[in-house]
Amino acid sequence: MKNPRVGIIGIGQSAFKPRRDDASYPDLVREAVVKAMAGPELEFDDIDAIVYSLSPDAMVGIGNAERLGVDAVGGRNKRFLRINTGGATGISSVAAAYYHIASGASDCVMTAGADKVGECGDSQTVLNKIWDPIYERPLPLGTITMLAMSAVRYMEKYGMTQEDMAHVVVKNRYHASLNANAHLRKTTTVEEVMNSRMISWPIKLMDCCPQSSGGGAMVLASEKYIKDRKLDAVWITGLGHCSESYYIGDRMGNGFTADHADAFALKGAFERAYRMANITDPQKQVHVAELYAPFSNTEFHAIEAAGLAGLGESISQLKDGRFTLGGEIPVNTSGGTLCTNAIAVTAMIRVAEVALQVWGRAGEHQVKGARVGIANGNGGDHQFFGTMVVES
Amino acid sequence: MALNRPTAVIGSAIMVPVTSDRLSLEEILYEVTQSALKSAGITIEQIDGIMVGSNDQVDGRAISIMAASGSVGGVDRDILSTPSAGEHAFVMGVLRIASAQFETQLVVSWGVTESHSLSEVERLGSDPYFHRRLPQDELASFAMQANVLKEAHPHAEGLAAALVVQNRLRGAQAYPGAIGAPQTAEQINQSRAVRWPVREGMVSPPVGAAVALVLASEPFVQKAGIKNPAWVRGLGWATEAAFLGDRDLATAPALQEAARQAFVEAGIQGVHQVDVAEISGATPYQELLSYQALGIAAPDQWAEVVSVAKDKLAINPSGGLAAVNPVFCGGLLRIAEAANQVRGTAGAHQKPATQSALAHAASGIAMMYQTVVVFNRDL
Repeated sequence: MKNPRVGIIGIGQSAFKPRRDDASYPDLVREAVVKAMAGPELEFDDIDAIVYSLSPDAMVGIGNAERLGVDAVGGRNKRFLRINTGGATGISSVAAAYYHIASGASDCVMTAGADKVGECGDSQTVLNKIWDPIYERPLPLGTITMLAMSAVRYMEKYGMTQEDMAHVVVKNRYHASLNANAHLRKTTTVEEVMNSRMISWPIKLMDCCPQSSGGGAMVLASEKYIKDRKLDAVWITGLGHCSESYYIGDRMGNGFTADHADAFALKGAFERAYRMANITDPQKQVHVAELYAPFSNTEFHAIEAAGLAGLGESISQLKDGRFTLGGEIPVNTSGGTLCTNAIAVTAMIRVAEVALQVWGRAGEHQVKGARVGIANGNGGDHQFFGTMVVES
Repeated sequence: MALNRPTAVIGSAIMVPVTSDRLSLEEILYEVTQSALKSAGITIEQIDGIMVGSNDQVDGRAISIMAASGSVGGVDRDILSTPSAGEHAFVMGVLRIASAQFETQLVVSWGVTESHSLSEVERLGSDPYFHRRLPQDELASFAMQANVLKEAHPHAEGLAAALVVQNRLRGAQAYPGAIGAPQTAEQINQSRAVRWPVREGMVSPPVGAAVALVLASEPFVQKAGIKNPAWVRGLGWATEAAFLGDRDLATAPALQEAARQAFVEAGIQGVHQVDVAEISGATPYQELLSYQALGIAAPDQWAEVVSVAKDKLAINPSGGLAAVNPVFCGGLLRIAEAANQVRGTAGAHQKPATQSALAHAASGIAMMYQTVVVFNRDL
C-alpha cells in the first residue's frame, strides 16, 4: 500500500519564557492553538480530532491535566486522546496525528499542548520519579546526572572536552538570538560557559537547558483536504520511533545492552524514518536538522545518530562551523532544546521548526534553500526516541 | 470515514484481579504480554509496534510507560503511551495498522491499587481552582451523574440494584473467583451510601489488573493463518467537555458521537445489529445512561432490559464493571471481552455463535472519554 501523504498546514508557538504568570495552563494551550489555526484560516469545526501532547502531569501539578486542555483545543465531542513519551511526547504526538490521517480516520487533526516547567518548582525532583523506586531512584538520578554519565563515557570514547561542549552552547545561543520565540536568547562565549558553575561533572549550568513555560500546536491534514482547500503545506515523508532499555545500569559496565555514549535507539529511529522517506545519504540529502539535545554534550551523539557525521566526528565538525547557520547542515537553528524546554511540547517544536525551515518561514534563522529537514525527540531516561523527515 | 485497511484482534490476555502480591509490576506485564502472544500464536519478534495505556498517578511513577518498556518487549521497538485511557491505546493500535506503517501491534494497559488513596489520586486530577476543593473523585462524579439521571428518570433508582444483581450473576460465571457472596437487590439497597445515591453494594471494589491484546493487519492474518480473528469493523471515540458545569450529566453526547462514528464505519444502523455488548458502567446508573446513548434501550425500555436478557443482544456476559472493577484498564478489558466473544475464546461465559460484538469503554470523571468498538467475525 502506498503511503498516504500527510501535510503540515498550521504551526503555532507561544513565546517561551521562564514564567507565564499571565496565562493559566489552558490559556497557554489556547495561545498556541489560535496561532496554528490562523495561518490556514481554520475554524474549530474544521478539526476532526485532537492529539493532546503532555508529558508528566506532575510538571503542571494536575493529574491527567489533558482533561483541562479539552476546551482549550476545541475538543468537546471530538476524537481526543493524549500521548506521553516523556521528552519525546511532542514528536510522538505529531506521529499519532499522522497515524490519524494516514489511517483514513481523519482529514484534519490538531496536536497541541503546553507546559509550565518554569513554574513547577524543580523539574529534577519530578524527573527523579521516572526511575524505578527500588533500584535507581535512590541514587539519586536526575536527567542531568543521567546525561552527565553519558558525557563521561563520550569523553572517554571520542575525546570530547568541556570546551567542545561549550562550543555547542555558543552555537545554539547564537541561533536562539535570531529566534523570537526562544527562551534563552543572549549570545555567549566559550569562556563564559566554562566559567558557569558545575552542576554534574562535566555538565555546567550553561550546558543545561532552561525550564520553560509555553505552548505549541500543529495542524496536519490529508493530501485531499489540502488540495480541495488549496492550502499551503509541507509534508511528513518519514517517521519512526525506537526505544532503549529502562534501567540506566543496562547501558554501562560489562555486558551493557547499549553504549550510554551513543544513542543506538535514536539511530534506529532515524533509520526507520529515512527508509520511509527514501533518504539513503543523510549528509547529502538533509538540509537542516532540529535535534533534541537538552544538554550540550548530547548534541554530538544526536548528530551522529542522525547520520550527519561519523561516530566521534561531530566534535571537530561542529567547531569548524559545519552545523552553524550558514554551514553545510545547520543543526538546531532555533536554538534547540538547549535554549528552550517546555517539556510537553519541546519535541513538537523540533518538528515545527524544521517545517518552518522547509516552508521558508523561519524568519531570521532561515536556512537558505532548505527543502528537506529532520527532527527528533528524546524521552524517558534517554529511552524513547521519535524521528521525522519533513519536506517542502 | 472508513479506515484505509482492516485490523483484527488475534490474541488477548486478561489478568484480573491480580491477586498475588509476590509479582512486581514488570512481572505482571511480562506475564500478560506473553499470554497474549501465546493466545495469538505468535512471538514477540513478530510484533512491529506497541501501544501502552498507563497512568502516572495510579502507578506512582512519572512517565509510567518507562518501566513497562522492557517487560512488554519495547526495547528496540516503536512504543507509545496514551495516559488518557487504556482504551485509547487500542484506538492508536488500530490507527497504526490502518496507516500501513505496521503489520502488528501489541496493546497493553494496567492499573494497580497500591496508591495510598485512589480517591485522592482522582481528586488531584481536578482543576486546582474550581473543582479540587469539592472534593471530587470518580465515584463522586458518578454519583452526581446518578442524581441528575434519576431526577430526569425517577424509575432508574428502582432498577439500579436489580441491574447489579443481573451483572453479578453473569460475572459469577465469567470471574467466579472475583465475585463475593451473592447479594439480593434488597441487600444492595440497604447497604450504606458511599456517594449518595450510589450504595456500597452497587460498586465493585477497585482491583489491580492487566490486559493485553494483539492486533494484526489483514495480510498478516492471512499469512499467519489466523483462524479466528475479531475484525474491527467500527471504531469511534470522543470526549466530553472538561468542566462538569458545562455538561448535562443526564446525557452522554460523547458516547452518542463515538457510537455514531463506529456504526457508520461498520455500516450498521445501530446496536441491535450486534450479538453481544460489553458496557462500561462503573455504577448501574452509568450503565443505564449508556443503554440510552448507545441505543440499547430508551429510559422507558430500561426495565425490560434489566428484567430479562434480550433474545438478540447479550449485554455484559462478563458481568461488566459490576463484577470486576479494574483500575484504569476497565475499558480495555471490555474491548478484550467483546473480541473474545467474537473469537470464540471467552471461556465459561462464551455466547454461542457470536458473529458480532460491541465494546463500550468509558474513562475519567463522569465518563468523560467515550470509546465504542464494533467487532465482527467476518471482514
